[in-house]
Amino acid sequence: MPTRRQNKSPRERRVLGRVPAEHFVGRDAALAQIAALAPHASGPRGVTVLAAPFSGASELLRQSYDNLFGERGGASPVYFAFARSDRTAARAARRFLNSFLVQLVAHRRDSPEMLLAPPGLRDLLDLVTPSDYEWVERIIASYERARDEADERAVVRLCLSAPQQAAARGSRSIVLLDDVHSAEHLAGDLDLGQEITQIAAQSDVPYVFAGQRRRLSDFFPGLDDRSHEFAPLRLENLAPDDARRLAENAAFERGVALSAETRDLLAQQLEGSPYFISAVVRAAKDAGRGLTGFGEFQKIYVDDLLGGRVGRRLTSVLEEIAPPLELRRSLLRVLHESAENVGGRSPVEAWGRRLGLEGESLLNVLEGLHAHELVSFNGTLVQAGGSTPWRDYLRAGYRLQVAAEPRALVVADTLVEGMKRAPQTMARHYRREASAGLRELLAMFDQQRVPASLLHNDRFNRTYRGVTPEEVASGLDAETDLVRLPQVVHAASCAAFHPPMMLVCDEERCAVAHGFDASPYTDASEVVWIAAEIDSKLEAGRALAEVWCDRLAQVSHACGFRRARLWLVAPEGFSAEANDLLNEREAFGSSRAQLELLSARLRVEGRAKADEASPDEFEMVIPMGEDSELIAASTVEQIARRLDFQPEAINQIKTALVEACINAAEHSLSPDRKIYQRFRLESDKLVVTVSSRGITLPTANLAAAQTHENNGHDSPEAGRRGWGLKLIRTLMDEVEFERVDDGTRLRMTKYLRK
Amino acid sequence: MTDTPAGQTPEGRGCPAAVVYAGGYVNKLDARRLERECRLKLGEGCRALVINFRDTELVNSIGVSILLDVIDAAERAGARVVFSNVNQHNLQLFEMLGLTKHAAVADSEEAALDALRSSSAASVSGH
Repeated sequence: MPTRRQNKSPRERRVLGRVPAEHFVGRDAALAQIAALAPHASGPRGVTVLAAPFSGASELLRQSYDNLFGERGGASPVYFAFARSDRTAARAARRFLNSFLVQLVAHRRDSPEMLLAPPGLRDLLDLVTPSDYEWVERIIASYERARDEADERAVVRLCLSAPQQAAARGSRSIVLLDDVHSAEHLAGDLDLGQEITQIAAQSDVPYVFAGQRRRLSDFFPGLDDRSHEFAPLRLENLAPDDARRLAENAAFERGVALSAETRDLLAQQLEGSPYFISAVVRAAKDAGRGLTGFGEFQKIYVDDLLGGRVGRRLTSVLEEIAPPLELRRSLLRVLHESAENVGGRSPVEAWGRRLGLEGESLLNVLEGLHAHELVSFNGTLVQAGGSTPWRDYLRAGYRLQVAAEPRALVVADTLVEGMKRAPQTMARHYRREASAGLRELLAMFDQQRVPASLLHNDRFNRTYRGVTPEEVASGLDAETDLVRLPQVVHAASCAAFHPPMMLVCDEERCAVAHGFDASPYTDASEVVWIAAEIDSKLEAGRALAEVWCDRLAQVSHACGFRRARLWLVAPEGFSAEANDLLNEREAFGSSRAQLELLSARLRVEGRAKADEASPDEFEMVIPMGEDSELIAASTVEQIARRLDFQPEAINQIKTALVEACINAAEHSLSPDRKIYQRFRLESDKLVVTVSSRGITLPTANLAAAQTHENNGHDSPEAGRRGWGLKLIRTLMDEVEFERVDDGTRLRMTKYLRK
Repeated sequence: MTDTPAGQTPEGRGCPAAVVYAGGYVNKLDARRLERECRLKLGEGCRALVINFRDTELVNSIGVSILLDVIDAAERAGARVVFSNVNQHNLQLFEMLGLTKHAAVADSEEAALDALRSSSAASVSGH
């Protein structure tokens, strides 16, 4: 049995948290982001928690509350969860006022027990500290006046602005609002979301908003525009390691026996959801059973899914979306049938016909499903989604409630299916853990030049087979045949583009990357890389390579990619015949060893880029025109002297920089008429980067300059005004155009030769 | 920048050689000024031009392209062009961009004028 690991030192008190702080795992960064909010501090004034379903946003807020509560003398934490049961905005606002005052007083008195039996508003006055009495009494009196006048608008605004009124009198608070999407269902004359956004935006009181990520921006219409003030905090399910730790901690806390194998399955099958993991462990505790084998776990899981807390929770979601029983039954049927069609999308009209709904009723149902991430709905098409527990629930629910099959049969089948699925789930997990991470690797492509042999298995075998790793590394360094990787702008799993690929390949073993080759962003330079990791114990043979080339080509065809590069990765590389095929198909092929070498090179490049802002770096912005390039030249002269460049080299650098500035001014149609320069000193070189906004340097000019340079012949009429780049290339050791979103960036390097 | 007043040449009006002085930074503006002066001299009948770069620290590519225009104009007028007092870096630049194929280079203004005075073009160090 795994031993429980202590994650952090336990706090003295748990106030709102449902799990001990030391058992709350995987959320350190999120906790820190919330804890960093403080009145009058610089930086974001609030946080928007965009939470995946069942990812534990509420517990995050509760744990944050407890952390803040423990900070004596700091801002008072106030946690409030909106609830549909409030029915009206006014009732929700009243409850907010009550919660706010009670929690504030509890914190200032250091009396968390007050939260267990919250007093009424007037009773609160007996408990409030003398320094707070006056303003608390005033707020309560104002509220009672507005209430007696039946002025709903005034009541709502007064209640919601209580944190600002308290702050004005020196009582600072930090407001944690949970389930904010529920507020949109509250009746009333006021747009509650807008009211809260306005109040939050106009004060120094920090707010944390948490709720369904797909609804949050709808509910707070101005929130996207205020992302600099309300920083987004994206909360996903736990990573595998954290999910396992959570399972261990939850089992330990409840005294439930848990084997290592079951722990791993639990983390995988429940997809790292803190809610589902905790629920299953709690169900095991309630049933007085352990989780010491796959069978035990599946029994607990199925019982909970079909008749326990998890089942009730999922049912309540359906009830919320489709209250009438008949509609719910239809919805169950349609959802179940859609879930069976992996990756399939249906027109919204088809859903309307199958549900017997149209217009706003249909829209409400689809939007509800979308908000809960049970489907993806874009206004015209609907695609079924949802987690593994949700799909299990749908399947069983359909058989029980729609097909009216015997319960015992459904339970037995669900259990059997779970048992059959368990090894596959774990195998998939192991494959995922061992996968090369093609998507991440493709995403790192940023126009680097890499040795061609890393993408051509035949060349790599010829040159490096049987060679020591050191020799491989130096050989690769010395290679002159380089492949320029595209600039990748988007990388995703292949299944995201072409769902049928999921039938033949794990999601993380096939990836699609959209990008551009070295030239500017044009149709001609657009390219899509489709990469797949294929299984083969030995070198992959020609037949296998052909099958995969065909598959990837089919993906390209089905998705309408105009220009695709195929890249296959096999653990041991490819046979000679398979390599011939890859060459015929102009596809790249790599072994796992090549892939790792490539990955290491890209990471080094990435680190180098990250290190760019070094202390030996100078930046300068000059206006275009008025001979301002002379100022740049004078500056670079001073900088170059620091590195002891010879006078001749300094003059060369100066001239190259002058030409780069002229180029920027002449070609860019720059909107700000500025030239941005960066000078980086390294031990053996000076790197000068010159950039400007506006249009990029025309390809024709570049090509002309290069041709001119290559041919080495002068034709004064044709080439006289295209000499800048030629000069730069001649005077500097390395010259490279880097792509930027808007404009051109020229990077020039001069090496020190003493 | 040292400038030679228009119409003044070392040899006087109608003489075969004139000297014009480039500025500290031969960019578009300065090169256009040089071009104007040179065309004026050619129009006055000068058949030899000395462009003195004694004050010139930097020349940019636009300046070079205009200097080539000057050389073209001189060739059309049957005149010769000699660059003098060119520093090492600018000389390298001129060679790189092919200027020295069309204009001779002398170490000093005197050397340039001496060369032009002599009837033989070989006395001027050509490139």
